[in-house]
Amino acid sequence: MSKTSRTLVTMPARAKKGDIVDIRIIVQHDMESGFRHTETGQRVPRDIIRDFRCTYNGVDIFRVELHPGMGANPMIMFTTVATESGTLEFKWSGDNGYASSTSSQLVVT
Amino acid sequence: MSFIAKVLLSCGVCAVVALGFLAKADPVGKDRQSSYALMSPDTQAMQDDPLLNPANFAVLDGQALWHEATGQKNVSCASCHGDAAVSMKGVAASFPKLSSAGRPLLSLGGRINQCRTEHQGAKPLAAESKPLLSLSAFVATQSKGMPITVNRSAANAAHLDAGERLFNLRLGQLNLSCAQCHAERPGQKLAGNAIPQGHPTAYPIYRLEWQTVGSLERRLRNCLTGVRAEPYAFGSQELLELELFLAWRARGMPLESPGVRP
Repeated sequence: MSKTSRTLVTMPARAKKGDIVDIRIIVQHDMESGFRHTETGQRVPRDIIRDFRCTYNGVDIFRVELHPGMGANPMIMFTTVATESGTLEFKWSGDNGYASSTSSQLVVT
Repeated sequence: MSFIAKVLLSCGVCAVVALGFLAKADPVGKDRQSSYALMSPDTQAMQDDPLLNPANFAVLDGQALWHEATGQKNVSCASCHGDAAVSMKGVAASFPKLSSAGRPLLSLGGRINQCRTEHQGAKPLAAESKPLLSLSAFVATQSKGMPITVNRSAANAAHLDAGERLFNLRLGQLNLSCAQCHAERPGQKLAGNAIPQGHPTAYPIYRLEWQTVGSLERRLRNCLTGVRAEPYAFGSQELLELELFLAWRARGMPLESPGVRP
């Protein structure tokens, strides 16, 4: 897996104050478990995303530890409450120096 | 007629009726069905939503490769073909085909590699490699919703007939042909899974079982291993002819690429 990869975020651009906001994120990653072997019997080293975190205006609101049992291109769905307009930042990090990040704007009215 | 003869005759009739019930004719025309219809609503939603479909990562990678200059001639796909949305519209729906008379039968991936070696001066991409699948997915997406346009012609007739023979040929330790499951018993269950009609309408597919994008050839090799036959090699004449027959059998059905399958 390369050092970074593509990400897709689905969330509304606007929300009313106090609304529950649905967030859906998917990231491109092979999630090589480390338990597989090649045709010649050599073990394929583990290469997975280890950590995902989401911050809302700099405050941690959601965090996930990922493990070898998780499938490729992991998709995570979670919610937050719209408190104020601002930026949601999404960051993934993993084995072999893997790091991806993206952000979305949320306007709260 | 003796009693025994009557019993034997009625048993024979029962057996014929039972076989007729199990084995049906290959669905044609409107009775044909993409295996999309057999998927769970969740998997269908995954294919339909571009922000959920994991195959879209391959499409985006393919788009990047389309614009990347490569090979001794340092040209990209876009240098010759320009905007893929225009130049590649409907192209994937016509494969496999013979690029010209007397030339070998080519799948979409094979055609991409022909372009690489002949026009870019680059090495062909390995079968089932990420870049080849990504480019194939990107090109195939340009034909999304368009009908498959593989028809019988004087040039492809021999290949088509060979493909049909293979489709009906019993293979492997289980001694099964493609037709016995996919033409005669679609909709019935095989190890708990619904048997699809086997129309190649969504390739390259993101198969959840594979956790990655794969070609029709990989899927066919899966089936061959399933009947415990020695699978034909990637890019082999047999697989190409089988692909051609399957595409012809699905002619007129809309392409869904990039599809998601369980």
